[in-house]
Amino acid sequence: MSSTTKRSWTASARKRAVGALPPEKLLPDSQPSYMSSWIYVFGVLTLTALIVIIASGSILALKGPGWWHFTGIGHFFNSIHLWSVELFFFFMVIHLWGKYWMAAWRGGRARVWMTGAVAFVVAVPCALTGYVSQQNFDAQWISTQAKDGLNAAGVGAFFNVTNFGQMYSYHVFLLPLAVVAIVIAHVLLVRKHGIVPPFQLSDRGALLASASKADPEPVPPRDPSVGNERARDAVSGKAAP
Amino acid sequence: MVAAIFNLSHPANTVHWHFFLMSVSNVVVIVVMLIVFALAILVPFPGHRGKERTK
Repeated sequence: MSSTTKRSWTASARKRAVGALPPEKLLPDSQPSYMSSWIYVFGVLTLTALIVIIASGSILALKGPGWWHFTGIGHFFNSIHLWSVELFFFFMVIHLWGKYWMAAWRGGRARVWMTGAVAFVVAVPCALTGYVSQQNFDAQWISTQAKDGLNAAGVGAFFNVTNFGQMYSYHVFLLPLAVVAIVIAHVLLVRKHGIVPPFQLSDRGALLASASKADPEPVPPRDPSVGNERARDAVSGKAAP
Repeated sequence: MVAAIFNLSHPANTVHWHFFLMSVSNVVVIVVMLIVFALAILVPFPGHRGKERTK
C-alpha cells in the first residue's frame, strides 16, 4: 500500500466499512437454523411493505391529487399506498412484539433495538402527515383532531397540521427520508451483529463457554446431552455452585 | 362512483368499557395482530425438522 493510499479518506472509509461488514456478512447465502420460525419473517415483511409504500408514493407524487382523486388508476394507486401502509404497521408491530419478547438487544445489539424503535416512532408522524394530505373530508377531520392534540402538547407553533403544503412536504420528503435512512442503518446493524438467537440457544452457548473455561476437557460445541457432563448439568440447572 | 362494500355513512361503532374507548375496527386489527403473533410462534415453519436443525 502506497503512502498516498494510506492518507486517502476513501481508502480508510472503505477499510473500515469492509472491516465492519465484510461482503459475506452483508449478503450472506445462508441463515442460522434457529431462524426456521415464522416470527423471524416479519422484519422482511415490513421491509417489503416499505418498498411498496415508497414505489406507490413516488407514483402518487408524480401524478398529483387531481389524479389520485378523480381517475380509476389514481384510486388504485392511492389504495395500494394506503393498504401497504396498513400492512407496514401491522407487520412492524408483530416484529416489535417478537423482538421485545426475545430481548433482541442482547449480545451487544442495543443499537439494533434502538434504531428499530426510532424507526417506529418516526414512521408514526410519517403516516399521520399522509392521512392529513389526502385532501378530502377524512383529512380535514384527522387534521383538526391532530391540531387539538398538538396544541395541547405545546408544539402547535411548529407543526400546523391544517397546512397542506407543510404537511405534504413533511410527508413526501423529510419524514420518508428519515424513515428510510433509519431502516437502512437498522438493517446494516442487523447484518453486522447477526440475528438474535432464541434465549435457549444463547444461554446454552454462554453456559458451555463458561463450562469450557473451568474445565480443561474439550466441550462438545453442539449437543449438551452427550460428552461433557458438567456442561449438560449446567444447561439443565443441576450444576454445583 | 362505485359504492363501498360496507355502509360507512354512520358514526363509527365503538367498544366502551370504563376508561377504555376504541373503534371496533381498531379493536379488530389489534385482535388479528395478536392472533397472527401467536400463529407465527406456534405454526411450524416449512422444512423445519425440530431440534435436528439446531444442531
